Amino acid sequence: MSRALDAKGVRLKRGSRGILRGVDLHAETGELVALMGLSGSGKTTMLRVIAGLEPRDAGEVSAAKVGMVFQFHYLFEHLCAIDNVTLAPTQVLGVSMIDARRRALQLLDQLGVGHRAQALPRELSGGEAQRVAIARALAVDPPLLLLDEPTASLDPARRNDLGEALLQLAKSGRALVMTSHDDDFVRDFATRVVVLANGEVVEQGDPQRILSSPQHPATKELLQLERARRGVQ
Amino acid sequence: MRTRLYLLVLLALAAAAPLGAQQILRWGGDAEGGAPFVEADPRDPSKLVGFDVEIAELIAGKLGRTPQFLQVQFTSLDQSAKRGDFEIGLSGIEDIPARRQSLAASIPYYEFREVLTVRDGDRGRYRSLADLKGKRVATLGGTMAYDLLLDAERTHGITAVSYDDDVHPYSDLVLGRVDGVVLDNVLADRAMRRNTGLFTHPDALAVGHYIVITAPENTALRDQVDRILRDAMKDGTLETIFRKWNVWNDDQLRLYERAANPQEQTASTAAPSTGELVARYVPSLFRAALITLVLSFAAMALAVALGVLIATGRVYGDRFSRLLLTIYVEVMRGTPVLLQLFVIYYGLASVIRLPAFIAALLGLGLNYAAYESEIYRSALEAVPRGQLDAARILGFTRMQTLRLVRAPQAFRLALAPMTNDFVALLKDSSLVSMLTVVELTKQTQIFATNIGSWVIPGLLCALLYLAMSLPLGYLARRLEERWRMPTI
Repeated sequence: MSRALDAKGVRLKRGSRGILRGVDLHAETGELVALMGLSGSGKTTMLRVIAGLEPRDAGEVSAAKVGMVFQFHYLFEHLCAIDNVTLAPTQVLGVSMIDARRRALQLLDQLGVGHRAQALPRELSGGEAQRVAIARALAVDPPLLLLDEPTASLDPARRNDLGEALLQLAKSGRALVMTSHDDDFVRDFATRVVVLANGEVVEQGDPQRILSSPQHPATKELLQLERARRGVQ
Repeated sequence: MRTRLYLLVLLALAAAAPLGAQQILRWGGDAEGGAPFVEADPRDPSKLVGFDVEIAELIAGKLGRTPQFLQVQFTSLDQSAKRGDFEIGLSGIEDIPARRQSLAASIPYYEFREVLTVRDGDRGRYRSLADLKGKRVATLGGTMAYDLLLDAERTHGITAVSYDDDVHPYSDLVLGRVDGVVLDNVLADRAMRRNTGLFTHPDALAVGHYIVITAPENTALRDQVDRILRDAMKDGTLETIFRKWNVWNDDQLRLYERAANPQEQTASTAAPSTGELVARYVPSLFRAALITLVLSFAAMALAVALGVLIATGRVYGDRFSRLLLTIYVEVMRGTPVLLQLFVIYYGLASVIRLPAFIAALLGLGLNYAAYESEIYRSALEAVPRGQLDAARILGFTRMQTLRLVRAPQAFRLALAPMTNDFVALLKDSSLVSMLTVVELTKQTQIFATNIGSWVIPGLLCALLYLAMSLPLGYLARRLEERWRMPTI
């Protein structure tokens, strides 16, 4: 196992409010790390700092090349699914169009959306768009893949498919870091969970252990809220 | 409190009193025409002076009425008289058959010669219109001189250039934008005093007369005006007025003799029928529509190209360039395009002498670039930030992101407002007639002046504009449907 991500003491302030207050986070190849926390705990911001989309005030981030899948996918709306996937390989990496399309189709097939290759983003369902977004991120072969709330746009049946697919990706030699508030999904698929509260890591370790017997009040509150939410649904 | 109210009522009555006491004679003219016809008194701009002012006062006086001036643009005087905006009109109005046909016209009160003015250095070379083959010759639109030049286009191969005023033909002659000016001797004399380096050939290219016009049904007033003019010719009042304004010459004596014997007056030539006139003008309307179309397309292309640069600069540029571009956009949007056209064509003439069409293209293009840039800027900003983040993580440079992700989507968003702007530009292009470009609206105006009615020219003009703008709207709707963006 090699270390795809090593972040130490990451701090970020917005105005006088500390969003991240010294976060350490690492991920090894083969891992699927889940970042959990209440809204505003800093988990999405942490992903964006790792991706280089947000500046940081202090701390160090050493990360391999990063791919990212956004909660709202952000596919390029004017391009069909396969063109979304081939754009970066052809334009950034200089891969030939033929090779890029072959690989893109392979990725889309792998993720179960090969039949939607010619569809425009607006014609895709939430789950399909997410898979295309994953394929787009994978097309440039990043050793580290970040996913922001990947289960948010999925129905329960699709969640398992996604979980399997993510584990498969981790096994094939990548490190994955995702944010999630879905403790069932994290318990079933994540290899490690990191709980953030108020911009600090308060608890981390094996998902089964942490989510079954949470120690920190923030983790307990998080799980209670999740259960209440599911109860309402 | 109460006394103050009384005072107000009294004041109002006092102000209204003169209106009731003596009837007003509304007379129309164009003060922009300037001296010696009608102009604002340089010593007191609220007063008007000029020989036409004095003749109007003379007529009003003889009718026992108070003259009241109404400012009407020269080319609109006929229509305004017909509508009854004023009772008599005089402002160097020429005696032409179409006018006699559509209005009640007085006897001529002044005889003028159409004369050719050239630059001093060309006086030996350009002695007549025939010498000006292939050259541009300017005049005031909607006048006898313009018709004269249109004939010369056919017979001598000159290019007639029409202006909306009589100042700029001569200043453009000095600048070399045109090589000759044909106007009446009164205007030519005035121009000679104002400009140096010009020479006016004394021989008349044609002879014409100034008349007083009234609404066509108001022949009674016209007959009264005729009587007053004849009397003023006999008793020397007119001569005094014309001498005062330095426009008296022996031509007038012969005119007065003829006026005294009205039977000789019927020697006017038969005017061509409306049908003939329409047939004569339709091809020129089509030519003018083509100019409108070419000008609009070229100006829009310039506006789009510049607009893209401005919008990109405002979205991506540093603070300084953003500030500069914002100032440009606000200045262009905040001042009238007409003013901008004048500045580019006339204002910059001492620095760079742009041909009229190029100046028109630049003026419209630079102005519309400001509007286009705003459309593109908001379209660029409407593309979700998340897509830009996604592109950045995928490794695109800013330029690649703009070219491959942001601009293509922004273009689809900008399409509908762009089409609206293009239709607006098509119509705004009529403003460039101020720079002597005869486009569709200008040609229609010339047409209307010459046949003395707006009905047919107006209808044809509207149809031509619609024929140009409707397909564009249709095309834009089709493209928009095809590229419809999801609600983001």
